[in-house]
Amino acid sequence: MEAARARKKTTGSSGLQKQRRQEGRTAWLFSAPALLLLTVFLVAPFLMAFAFAFTNQRLIPNPNLPTEFIGLRNFLRLLMDTTFYRALSNNFIFAAVVVPIQTAFALALAMLVNRKVRYVNLFRTIYFSPVVTTMVVVSIVWFFLFNPGEGFINQALKFLTFGRARPLDWLRSPRLAFPAIMFFSVWQGVGFQMIIFLAGLQDIPAELYEAAQVDGAGSWRRFASVTLPQLRNTTIFVVVATTILAFKLFTQVWVLTRGGPQNATMTTIVMLYRQGFQELRVGYASSIAVLFFLIVLVISLMQRLFLREGRDT
Amino acid sequence: MRKYFLILLALILFLTLFSGCARKAEEAAGPVTIEVWFHSGKGEEREVLDAQVEEFNNMQNEIRVEAIRLPEGSYNEQVSAAALAGDLPDLLDFDGPYVYNYCWAEHLIPLDDYISAEMRADLLPSIVEQGTYGGKLYALGTFDSGLSIWANKAYLDKAGVRVPAGLDDAWNLQEFNQALAKLQALPEVEFAIDFKMNYGQGEWYSYGFSPIVQSFGGDLIDRSDYQSAAGVLNGPEAVAALEWFQSLFEKGYASILPAGDDDFYGSKKAALAFVGHWMWGPHSQNLGSDLVLLPMPDLGKGAATGMGSWCWGITSQSENPEATWKFLSYLMQPSQILFMTNANGAVPARKSALAKSKLYGAGAPLEIFAQQLEGGVAVPRPITPAYPTITSAFAEAIQNVVTGADVKAELDKAVGRIDQDIEDNKGYPITQ
Repeated sequence: MEAARARKKTTGSSGLQKQRRQEGRTAWLFSAPALLLLTVFLVAPFLMAFAFAFTNQRLIPNPNLPTEFIGLRNFLRLLMDTTFYRALSNNFIFAAVVVPIQTAFALALAMLVNRKVRYVNLFRTIYFSPVVTTMVVVSIVWFFLFNPGEGFINQALKFLTFGRARPLDWLRSPRLAFPAIMFFSVWQGVGFQMIIFLAGLQDIPAELYEAAQVDGAGSWRRFASVTLPQLRNTTIFVVVATTILAFKLFTQVWVLTRGGPQNATMTTIVMLYRQGFQELRVGYASSIAVLFFLIVLVISLMQRLFLREGRDT
Repeated sequence: MRKYFLILLALILFLTLFSGCARKAEEAAGPVTIEVWFHSGKGEEREVLDAQVEEFNNMQNEIRVEAIRLPEGSYNEQVSAAALAGDLPDLLDFDGPYVYNYCWAEHLIPLDDYISAEMRADLLPSIVEQGTYGGKLYALGTFDSGLSIWANKAYLDKAGVRVPAGLDDAWNLQEFNQALAKLQALPEVEFAIDFKMNYGQGEWYSYGFSPIVQSFGGDLIDRSDYQSAAGVLNGPEAVAALEWFQSLFEKGYASILPAGDDDFYGSKKAALAFVGHWMWGPHSQNLGSDLVLLPMPDLGKGAATGMGSWCWGITSQSENPEATWKFLSYLMQPSQILFMTNANGAVPARKSALAKSKLYGAGAPLEIFAQQLEGGVAVPRPITPAYPTITSAFAEAIQNVVTGADVKAELDKAVGRIDQDIEDNKGYPITQ
């Protein structure tokens, strides 16, 4: 009896092992295209950038002046480059301003469109539409909105202040350009976070609200004690994702201001692009990439440490 | 089911492979195909070039030109990326001084063996000067550019400012300063001069404002050997030039942030416009007979102005340089040059075409531009692979200077950047 059971067990597990192996093979087979592409377009360039960072690689290579290993020269120069500090601090300012505002705004929008009212899908679509439109296209549209003369924003300001506001040159004033880009970026990105929050909201069991109501909780109390704690994981995801996007800031800056005026909108990626593709210093640009990678890595690790996701919901 | 699917997949793969080969074989038997890249610039330029490619393909059957337009915004970047990947076409156009990196890195072939003595003699001196690197001719433009000061004659007359008759009696610095003060005093005039600061920090700053430095006696780099900018870009002449330039903004003669492009020709807030030939259309349409083109003033060490535009080069990767040259020399025919310049309003690159031009010929409204190019007033931008760094460093200095930064400190910073780039590249040695 015992032996029979044992035998049955072994044959069962070997069958399982065989099945597992087969599944493993299928998994590799299915992930092969993605892995191949990731290696070619992500892993390999990353390793190349790491290697280039220690060389004087030019974008237009010269056969008579081969690329040389120059040790830490790129990094030493970078640490003395005032543009780099300006770019880096802009990235931090952008993250510090945009992440909280965008997250709060997204949550508010999500609560609004989570109601069972008529045409709610229409509103969801409208709020989401900037996200699905190409960033370059939206940026060009905003370029016109920010126009100092007939731009919509100046006209709107004029209307709201009964003609007292003087037209502002949003994108060419060193004081206004970066706030203008932040404002636009919040508008563009908020729809995506809204959808994630919406999914989180719809995941909250209705019983919790009913129970809270029975206990006599008002709407603010229900929000603070039910909605927010239930959205903890969603919020963490949104904050981390927005932070990473904030550090990758490039497209809208490139289309609207190219990092100017006077480096007011310079970001690390814009600087990297300018050094690598316009001033032809691929080695130097790579060292920016490597240093920036390390900085973002530290930030992500810190965020993971402080905002550990709860697994028990 | 899965088997069938696999077989089908394999079949599709093989078929596409073979069809690819078949197409290749077909090409080899037919005419020689040359690939041409050009920047997708102004609409008129694009249309003319499209028409030229079509005409060239129709008028003979040995060479087939396949032209590809690339967006202008990122044209330089796309071309350098292609150079790094070793994937340049046979013929392509370059944005002025950006061509020298390609000459230096041997991505272009010299055209000296192809160009006829007759064509060479007919070219504007500015075209030859800019196309020559290390003693060899690498690039040919079908047109050049002109930069000077446009004026609203109504304002000049009202303020009692003299209109120079030609290059020889251009304003000097003192007269220019007086003219600016008089024009600024007119009630209709908000800004005496429009420096087109709305173009933003970029190539315009180098193209437009380095002539001011040169007219004061400075330059962007020491042109004797192109090894250093020290003492030239931050010497007393250059500092004086940019301090004067800065003072125009401080006195309110010029605006750092013009509300639009039309201060001179639309709202007529500005009495003078410091800008190139490309504004002829809007200027002449809006100002009519009030428009006058003035020769560049002499700010101390002789008048200086900008030159240069897009130019063509044949790459060393080209398998058919002969055929490619045939197409380029077709584009360089006087009639084709005129076809282009009548559309885009630029200065024709050949003297024979210039003579026939309605804009630049003798007595024509824009003759001053041609005289400045032929008479040695125009100065090419530095002929060195360090140019991308020079222009970026100088433009940054200009931007900071007009907003009030210390001129000497800004120029020292620019010199530091330029010299470091040259040093990093071991002086950009030419090996021949």
